Formats: sequence, structure tokens, C-alpha cells
Amino acid sequence: MPNVSDEDKETQSQALGERLYAAELRRQRAFRTHVGLSWGILFLVLMFLFSGQELTLGGFQFSTIRLDFEFVQKNLAFVGGGLGQTILISILSILLATVLALVAALGRLSNFPPFYALSTFYVSLIRGTPLYLQIFFFFLALPQLGIILPGFVAGVIALGLNYGAYMSEIFRAGLSSVGKGQREAALALGMTPGQVMRRIVIPQALRFAIPPMGNEFIAMTKDSALVSATGFVQELMWRSTKVGRASFKNLEALIMAAMFYWVMTMILSYIQGKIEEHMAKGDR
Amino acid sequence: MSPIVVVSNLHKYFGRLHVLKGVSLQVETGEVVCIIGRSGSGKSTLLRCINFLENPSQGIIEVDRVRVVAGQQSRETDQLVHEVRLRTGMVFQEFNLFPHMSVLENVIEGPVTVKKMDRRRAIEIADMNLERVGMLWKRDEFPARLSGGQKQRVAIARALAMEPRVMLFDEPTSALDPELIGEVLAVMKKVAEEGMTMLVVTHEMGFAREVAHRVVVMADGQIVEDETPERIFSSPQHPSTVALIERYRASETTLHETPGSHKYPRTNE
Repeated sequence: MPNVSDEDKETQSQALGERLYAAELRRQRAFRTHVGLSWGILFLVLMFLFSGQELTLGGFQFSTIRLDFEFVQKNLAFVGGGLGQTILISILSILLATVLALVAALGRLSNFPPFYALSTFYVSLIRGTPLYLQIFFFFLALPQLGIILPGFVAGVIALGLNYGAYMSEIFRAGLSSVGKGQREAALALGMTPGQVMRRIVIPQALRFAIPPMGNEFIAMTKDSALVSATGFVQELMWRSTKVGRASFKNLEALIMAAMFYWVMTMILSYIQGKIEEHMAKGDR
Repeated sequence: MSPIVVVSNLHKYFGRLHVLKGVSLQVETGEVVCIIGRSGSGKSTLLRCINFLENPSQGIIEVDRVRVVAGQQSRETDQLVHEVRLRTGMVFQEFNLFPHMSVLENVIEGPVTVKKMDRRRAIEIADMNLERVGMLWKRDEFPARLSGGQKQRVAIARALAMEPRVMLFDEPTSALDPELIGEVLAVMKKVAEEGMTMLVVTHEMGFAREVAHRVVVMADGQIVEDETPERIFSSPQHPSTVALIERYRASETTLHETPGSHKYPRTNE
């Protein structure tokens, strides 16, 4: 029986640790590879469904959906040209929504009754009515009162107001996540309540709120399609329905718009994931 | 010389609960006063009333000749409370460092935001105080990367940077792992030796015995004993004090049999 020294035992247990870790990494990599392959297959199946193939299996005849690729090619640039408007609407609306959400969240946590009431009233009214109606309200109903807004402006205001109401919950959670001790430490230093908010509470609440705000932004890029209903904003959805209706090629037109939305969402989700990863790492 | 902190007939209610029942206390400049007592005796509430983190229901607080009569709501009272807070530094059980700021930013935050001090001057003062607590080497770290003891030392530096006349410590070591308590107490002792007036709510009987000039014992919302540490430890009078001292003695003997126990045995409830 060979004499095993402590040093040997040490190297052995280290080697075992390395092996186990490597196996774990292999398992993780294998999982990701399989998911990626399956995505590829699902995508190919989807492509096949729209390939226009005629198939004969035994006595049965199958045909997959035939798309007019000439139409797609002709109108791709026109429909894609709406991306800029879609993104612009989303950015402006999310900015408006962020400001409104922050104010509404502060109101919700306020001890001042009118401010609290205003905040809850706003959130209740907006959440109690459809976004579609709100967009039409600003575009179609306001002119009756002599206020005529361009479709773009009406859309941004409606989306901003709507998302502001929903996002106020995110900010409220963010503000509440900042512990009482933080406020007390700041007050003990002699800060005014305003300074406590600006210097201590809001910066921490924003950190907390950034990942869910990313989700809201991604959702908004798609809800911005509703603005097309005003008929005067040339974003993705409006452009695709325009060319689709004109030549009875709604199938192709909508699929084109869908692809633009989908790819945009995937890119934004990827960026969102990176931001979240970064926030988790910088444990500040 | 007139006392720097005067608490007169202080009452505090939480809803219907009467937590402080007429507390009076005077602290001289340079004095270190430890406040001990069981949980719920009102010792933390008393400390928190002194800088108005709790609003006293009735009574008078005077810090460095700034006199605030409790129970009034007016702009002048707010101003006086602000003045009191400028004259007091507070150290919390849970440290309460600002997690979104580096160590240095934590320490300059008060001087820059509250005192409107020039940033460069504030950094000089911050560096000096970080040096004082032995944390200068971590000035660019974020609090999440510090141990509990290190966090508390930074919190002490943050309070000192405001150059307060009085330091309030609210159970500064109660949230710490036993092996980290010593470094915080050592810093507190150093600050005390430099002549700072300190009010320390604590369970650290060893610290009270060694560093305090006076030990105040609270029970059921009142001060039941106010004596030199020698008297408190040699001939405790009130049953509450007797119980605390007994528990301290018991833990002291058991702790001394445990190798690696920290320097200041604690008594917990």
C-alpha cells in the first residue's frame, strides 16, 4: 500500500474539483447548443410553411403558403422606413412616461392629501380605460374642444400618459425599496427632505427601476403600432397596412412588419439583458 | 461650564405606548456617557429623540445652546431641529452607508450637500477622518465590498466629517459578527480619547466600563441609575442594573474560557 502524503491528497482533491467544474461547464454549454439548434429548426419549419411548396405524400396533396416575394422585395424598404418613426415615438413616449411615473410614484408616497389624490386619480383613470381609446381621445376627441394635435403628438402623449400610469408602480416599488435607514442617515447629516430625495432616495430607486423600465420600453415599441390608427403617422404598422391594402397583399405586408418588430425586440432584449447583467455585477 | 446636551423631562409616545416617561439627562463637553438597559427600555428612543429622528412628544432638548421645545410644529422648530442635527453626528446599528456612493463620496456627502463646502476642502476633511478610523486605504471602494466592521468605521468617519459637537452611537456593534466588534470599539475609544462628547447606547459592558465617564441605566422608559462605571460595576443599586451586571459577569467568565473571543464581552438580552 503506497503511502499517500497530505500534498498528494491536496492535489487529488483539487483535480477532482477541476473535473467537476469542467463537467458542469460542459453541461451548460450543451444545453445552450441544444436550445440554439432547436430554435434553428423551429425557424426552418416556419420558413418552410411559407415556402409555397407543393407536396404529395401518398395520396394526399399538401401545399404550403405561397408568398409574393416580388411584392416583399418591392416594398421592404418602404415598410422598413417606418422603423425610425416607431423608435422615435417609443423614445419620446418613454421619456414622458418616466417623468409622469416618477411624479405619480412620489405622489403615491406623499403625505400631502391633494398630491396623493392626484396621483391615485391619474393612475386609476388611465388604467381603467383602453390605450386604444386614449390614443383616439387625443387625436379625435380633443379637436371637438378646439385642440387639434397631429397624430404623432397625440400618439406620444397618449402612450406617455398610459405607460406613466403603469410605470408609476415600478417607481413606487423602487422608492419603497430604499430602506428607512437611508433616509434617517441622510436626515441625521442635516439634509432637508428635498435633498434626501434627490441625493439618496431617487438615485437608488432608479437603479432598482432600470431593468423593469427596459421591459416597459420593449413593450412600448410594439404598442406604438396603435398610433397607426390615427392614419397620419408613418410608422411600421401604418406603412405595412398601407401597402398591404393597396394591393391586397396583407399577408405579406403584415409578415414583413412582424419581422421588423420581432428582430427589433430581440435586439432590444439582448441589450436589456446586458444592462441587467452589468447592474448585477456592479454591486454598488 | 454649562452642559452641552440637556434633556429635560422628555416624554415619547408611540401611539398609545408610553416609551419615555420623563427622562432628564445632562452631558458635559468631552464626556462619554454609555446608556445601557434591556431591549424596550427606551434607550435607543432617547438617543433618537436627541437629534429628532423620533419626534419627542413632550419635553425640551438642548444641544450646544440650541433649545428645542418638543411637540411644536413650525418653521422655526424645523430650523432649530436642523441646527441640532448639524451639531450631532449619528452612528447607526445598521451602518446605513449610502450604497450608491464610494467610501469617499459617503464621507464628503454631508459637508458638500449640507454645508455647501468646497469639494476639495471636503475631500481633505474626509481623508483626515478616514485616516482617523483607519479606512483611508478603502476610500474608493463601494460599501458592498466592505466588511461590517469596515462599514461601521466609514459610518463613523462620515459623521465625524460634519465636525459635530456631540456623537450619538445607537448600538454601533450590535449588527456585527463578534470578531469585527473589537475594531469598531477601538475606533470609538480613540475618538473618545480625542475629547469628543459621546452618547453611546450599547450592550458592550466592557466598553462602558473601560471608556465611559458615566453609565446611565434605563428601565421601562426611565433613567434608574446614573453613575460612574466604577460604582455601577462594583455596587449596582437598581434591580435592572444588578441583572445586567450579573449577565455581563457570567458572559465574561464563559468568554474568557473560549479562545479567540473578542476583547469586549457583550451582554445580550
